[in-house]
Amino acid sequence: MPIPIDFALIAHQESWRAAADVLAVLRGPYLAPIPDDDLKEIFPWFPPRAVCHIDHRSVLGHSVHGIYIDSFIPPDRLAHKYRHENIERVRDAAACAIKAGARIVSLGGFSSILIEGDSDLLPEKGETVFTTGNTLTVAFVVKGIKKICALQGRDMGEATLLIVGATGDVGSGCARCLAPLVKRVVLNARSIDRLRSLAEELSAGGKAVDIATDLQQLSVQADIVICVASLESPSLLLGRLGPNAIICDAGYPKNLSPVDVLEDCTVFFGGLGQSLGGMSFEPDVHRVLHRHPFPNVGQGCVMEGMVLALEGRFEPFSQGRGFITPERVQEIEAIAARHGIHLAPLYNAQGPLEEVACETEGSADERQIAAPGRAV
Amino acid sequence: MEAVTTLKCATADNANPISSTASIWQDVLAQAVTGELIAVLNYTSLAEICEDPDEVADALEHAESERGHAAAFTAEGGKLGIVVPNNVNAKYWKRLRTAFLRQIDARGFIGCLIIQEVMLESFAVASYKRVGQVAPGSLGNTFAAIAAEEEDHIDHAMAILRAERALDVQRFDDKVYALHIEVMTILAQMFAREDADGHCELCHGSCVKQSLPVVGLTSSELRGVALQHYLRTLDMLGLPGELTLVWVAQLPV
Ligand SMILES: NC(=O)c1ccc[n+]([C@@H]2O[C@H](COP(=O)([O-])OP(=O)(O)OC[C@H]3O[C@@H](n4cnc5c(N)ncnc54)[C@H](OP(=O)(O)O)[C@@H]3O)[C@@H](O)[C@H]2O)c1
Ligand SMILES: [Fe+2]
Repeated sequence: MPIPIDFALIAHQESWRAAADVLAVLRGPYLAPIPDDDLKEIFPWFPPRAVCHIDHRSVLGHSVHGIYIDSFIPPDRLAHKYRHENIERVRDAAACAIKAGARIVSLGGFSSILIEGDSDLLPEKGETVFTTGNTLTVAFVVKGIKKICALQGRDMGEATLLIVGATGDVGSGCARCLAPLVKRVVLNARSIDRLRSLAEELSAGGKAVDIATDLQQLSVQADIVICVASLESPSLLLGRLGPNAIICDAGYPKNLSPVDVLEDCTVFFGGLGQSLGGMSFEPDVHRVLHRHPFPNVGQGCVMEGMVLALEGRFEPFSQGRGFITPERVQEIEAIAARHGIHLAPLYNAQGPLEEVACETEGSADERQIAAPGRAV
Repeated sequence: MEAVTTLKCATADNANPISSTASIWQDVLAQAVTGELIAVLNYTSLAEICEDPDEVADALEHAESERGHAAAFTAEGGKLGIVVPNNVNAKYWKRLRTAFLRQIDARGFIGCLIIQEVMLESFAVASYKRVGQVAPGSLGNTFAAIAAEEEDHIDHAMAILRAERALDVQRFDDKVYALHIEVMTILAQMFAREDADGHCELCHGSCVKQSLPVVGLTSSELRGVALQHYLRTLDMLGLPGELTLVWVAQLPV
């Protein structure tokens, strides 16, 4: 009897390093790693399929079982020009999830394109439901911003918030949640029309809203920045930052390049949740898939499917682009919290931003005290 | 007059790129013809262990059809003005044939089908298809047509193999795995970037793999499409994708 699959996660590797690590786990401890050249030649040809099984435990005691399906999009072919072939891969991955009988599927990274756009690109789906997972991502981005402001004693009511990638699904959700809490909002993206319509919606609530297609032309200084643009490569020059700005980079690939010099700013990677109940992976690719300095951490979008499965709510919670409301964010956050899934400790490329004792059930060996990175 | 001039020019133009690449096509065709001749031998051996007269007839028909493929590839060489060599005792091909004969000795009909139809055919169909897309004129058409024929005749074998798997899933998957280790290791070495064991004993000069880009092919792509086709064939048989991914990930490179 095959094990019933409660949830499936569809995603892809962000870098060749990550792809190499996945293959190294699959090759096992006795075979030498595949040389980089061969890896790049072989990896893109793998048809999408499950890479590992996952058990996710709720703090309420029960657990759900799922699979991680890799679409094997080559990390250097995420650009727009490969869109069609990548959509095909993600469709194949979705078909794989459906065939496995997954009851709910989270679409991580590029994969959410299948249900985000105007047209529904999903294959015939039977009983399986799909969610982009973006509502939980928004919840964790927003929580992260609030947390760091609180830790630094910052008055959000006096802050100017800049959202890069503001008209996207995650960006617009963050804008709706945070606009009422800040003094002023600046929305950035390339398409002016979509910026205008979001600005109209937000300013109807009485908020001062600016829009900008070019950050260099911006005349205001931002105190809080959320980067959620779907950029092809990590290089985003932030022109206008206030002193001691807070920057949440929640994009994949990262919107901020590691070489961006951001003097006096606090940068953290946003949109991440941590499960206190714990997760186990077979084969054990946990550290490879979730490359965070803390255990049991995952992207909000990926966690959303697991959260809904733990709750027994097999429904397409997040679908389409631009429909994420503060009410829905609160709802998914409450469900996640019920099962012990909360905002992950904050960290950035240099390391953790907080001193945390990470104790999770069933992962005593993974307990760790995170060394403080940059003081907050 | 106009038409004649055009025709002459076209002939000269077409002849040129082919003659400059003839030695590459010679090596590519040598592999294809040898592979087809191995298939002839394998199906003929298979006919000898089949008990059901229908299966005997089927195997002999396949052998005949593979002989036709070998002849068609040889004829394509003739059109390019080259003699296509073949060598069923060339290093890798001999090891593949030996693996098949082990199944024959054990009267393992299912094992034979797995080797020939799932493993060898995956590599043949996928690489012929790719060659068919880039090879000029009738050479390309022949590769594409033979790829389509090979794909056609796989259905019958797949039905037999699926029925066999349904009888005892674990036993079937274990058998495929054992044959995967034996046979796919050889194919992976054959399609690797470099021949770890020296010359393949079929290419007429140094290994053709390095020259393939001249005709619009790469050995990496041929290996990629072949492994992909193999994984998809195993999917069609119902083997779990996460299991076969590990198998392929563990092949030598
Ligand atoms: N942390 C997590 O758990 C998590 C979860 C889901 C998604 N994400 C990441 O968040 C990002 C956004 O996801 P999404 O689903 O919201 O994507 P989306 O709906 O496609 O939105 C992308 C946004 O970026 C803008 N954009 C694209 N290129 C830009 C550029 N060069 N400069 C400024 N803006 C640009 C787009 O608008 P224009 O096209 O008009 O410029 C749009 O506003 C992605 O990087 C994704 O990987 C993270
Ligand atoms: Fe053939």
